[in-house]
Amino acid sequence: MTNAPSDRLVRTLQWVWLGAAFLLVGGIIVWIVGLIRAAWTLDDFLSASVGISIVAIPIFLVFMGVVFYVFWGVAVHGRSGED
Amino acid sequence: MALWGMVIDLDRCTGCQACVMACKAENNVPAVGVKEAKRERVISWMQVLTETDEEHHGTKMRFIPRPCLQCDDPPCTKVCPVYATFRNPEGIVGQIYERCIGCRFCMAACPYNAKYFNWHTYQKEGPGQNPDVSVREKGVVEKCTFCHHRLQKARERALAEKRQFDPAEYVTACTEACPAQAIVFGDLSDAASEVSRLARSPRAFRLQEELGTKPKVIYLTEGEESG
Amino acid sequence: MADARDPHEDILLAPIEHTGPGFYWAVAFLSLLILWGTVAYWVQFTEGLGVTGLHQPVGWGFYVTNFVFFIGISHAGTLISAILRLSKAEWRRPITRMAEVITCMVIFIGAGQILVDLGRPDRMMNVIYYGRYQSPLLWDATSISAYLTASLTYLYLPMIPDIAILRDRSEKRKLLYSVLALGWSGTERQHKVLNRAIAIMAVLVIPIAVSVHSVVSFVFSMTLQPSWHSTIFGPYFVVGAIFSGIAGLILTMIIFRKAYKLQYYLKPIHFRYLGQLLLIMALLWFYFTFAEYLTGYYGAEPEEMKVFWAKFTGPFWPFFWTMVLCNFVIPLVCLASLKAHTVGKVMIASVAIVVGMWLERFIIVVPTLSFPRLPFPEGVYWPTWVEWGETAGSFGLFALFYLLFTKFFPIISIWEIREGRETSVKEVEERIRSYLPGDAQEKA
Repeated sequence: MTNAPSDRLVRTLQWVWLGAAFLLVGGIIVWIVGLIRAAWTLDDFLSASVGISIVAIPIFLVFMGVVFYVFWGVAVHGRSGED
Repeated sequence: MALWGMVIDLDRCTGCQACVMACKAENNVPAVGVKEAKRERVISWMQVLTETDEEHHGTKMRFIPRPCLQCDDPPCTKVCPVYATFRNPEGIVGQIYERCIGCRFCMAACPYNAKYFNWHTYQKEGPGQNPDVSVREKGVVEKCTFCHHRLQKARERALAEKRQFDPAEYVTACTEACPAQAIVFGDLSDAASEVSRLARSPRAFRLQEELGTKPKVIYLTEGEESG
Repeated sequence: MADARDPHEDILLAPIEHTGPGFYWAVAFLSLLILWGTVAYWVQFTEGLGVTGLHQPVGWGFYVTNFVFFIGISHAGTLISAILRLSKAEWRRPITRMAEVITCMVIFIGAGQILVDLGRPDRMMNVIYYGRYQSPLLWDATSISAYLTASLTYLYLPMIPDIAILRDRSEKRKLLYSVLALGWSGTERQHKVLNRAIAIMAVLVIPIAVSVHSVVSFVFSMTLQPSWHSTIFGPYFVVGAIFSGIAGLILTMIIFRKAYKLQYYLKPIHFRYLGQLLLIMALLWFYFTFAEYLTGYYGAEPEEMKVFWAKFTGPFWPFFWTMVLCNFVIPLVCLASLKAHTVGKVMIASVAIVVGMWLERFIIVVPTLSFPRLPFPEGVYWPTWVEWGETAGSFGLFALFYLLFTKFFPIISIWEIREGRETSVKEVEERIRSYLPGDAQEKA
């Protein structure tokens, strides 16, 4: 097909897509850690920040893991098995 | 470390609202106008609440001047998402207008409704205002601050004059203005101060004490003579 | 690979390939609503929140009601998609994507309501820079971020095989589909990876969804106000969210079933099962509501009773009793027997529930604020055209996002229907066989 996008462009954009996902999730984790630091500096209910981050950060890490797992299993490895 | 508090003697209060007017003048509290007042948007850091009791409905009124009660366990600071309202080490619950995002959570949480919102920009900076107090824009919450700017000024004056700061130099506008001297202001942590002495009076009570907010405005109930 | 064209599936790809006049009429109408909302918000942004009906002491009104309502609707996706997937309910296949799209779109609208409600939206980044985790609003921010991330992932993963179909079949947007399809070619290994990832997300999404509406309820229940400071709020809000979510999902299904001629895929049996779920949620909702008000009434604390009577016989009685009618009476009457006129009955019940649940949020937010503890003069909250406009615009925006989605991606999961047809029939047969008492040849 003449209007099929080049394979290289597609792969680059897929890595960009993955990078964006990592940036989003990573950004949220950095944000939460930043808020813990703020609470510690201002001596303002550190327990709340730490408590929530103990639950929230692992969840976000799992998201990153799942996204990476799918990307690896489908996009990267899938290609080698392509007909 | 001082712990600023207030005692209001309900037996002396005549409901004249001089405290309300003095507070508004001192703190650049905007006059919202007739239209906004009809829509229940009057901002009144010090507000005189009126209560009639069931028996003497309409004939006997009780006047309760209600500033911000400067709680020691404030429900409003707990829920603020951005550190815009906080309790300082001297017990004053402050409000940072520049930080406030106007979510009004603190207003919803305050059991005394002591917090007010700027529904419009009610006034711009101009002549005739107290230069020591900022003028608030629309979209932020404000409340009584125990005239904290007066404390800062008194401390700075003492520093400039190279002497100790005397707690008696710091009084709020409402305390000064009350013609019946119903409001007493001072350092609750100083057991010898008048405010501490009155706070220990058998007539002393706190509003909604059972909520556990530990308010630092203490009321003295009416005596038997007014019964 | 199997792009063996099933003629029935053409109908699933038709909205993407052809656009009829109905679409443009719909977009025009929704754009009008959105325009009304935009104008309303512009006025509010320039003049301040004073253009709403809010006042001292009712600082929260339509916007916070909408916030709770829209976040509640988002529970459609989680329940149907995740729970039914985990419990291997085969009838979920044509429904899951519709539900997941609702969740993703409506979370944006719900979170947007809070931004609209702020007095200083130009400072919204303060929540990011200076957030305090003691405040339930920060719990909201974190929880909703987690839910949004999870839902987007949970929507995207099962879409990958369908995007691959579009990549291979469609002439337009080839780059978009090629990138998003991640090189999917349907190999067994890819299927295994995808199914495992979807299963993990399904398990993860459920507790996150429960936490989302619980923390939304904590915004109210963590204060000391009468009728708010109640331990029931967490579960109550979650139940209400699932309730309104299913109703919202049913309405969406009915609309698109008609518009895209999906009667072959969305059959009366699907509506019947959803209707039964809706009935169960109606009873559950009633139970929680009853327990909540009985407790307040029996204790007879003066400040609680002020709010209680305001709802039952006072200024809020029309909203309260309409809510009971819409959330309990009408659903019970409609859903008790779903053998005949299934779709019609379920539609009436769902419309009533969507209205009733909005009223329920309103009844929770406003009466408590209207009757403060201290003797203030009583104020009555009347919303203005700005608040109505913002509400209309929000619904319009949600509908437009949803409509645009259906133009880019199939609204019914093609590969899951294929999977159902090709492998699940046998799988289910084997599963049922394994439940029944076996013969001597069967392995233990």
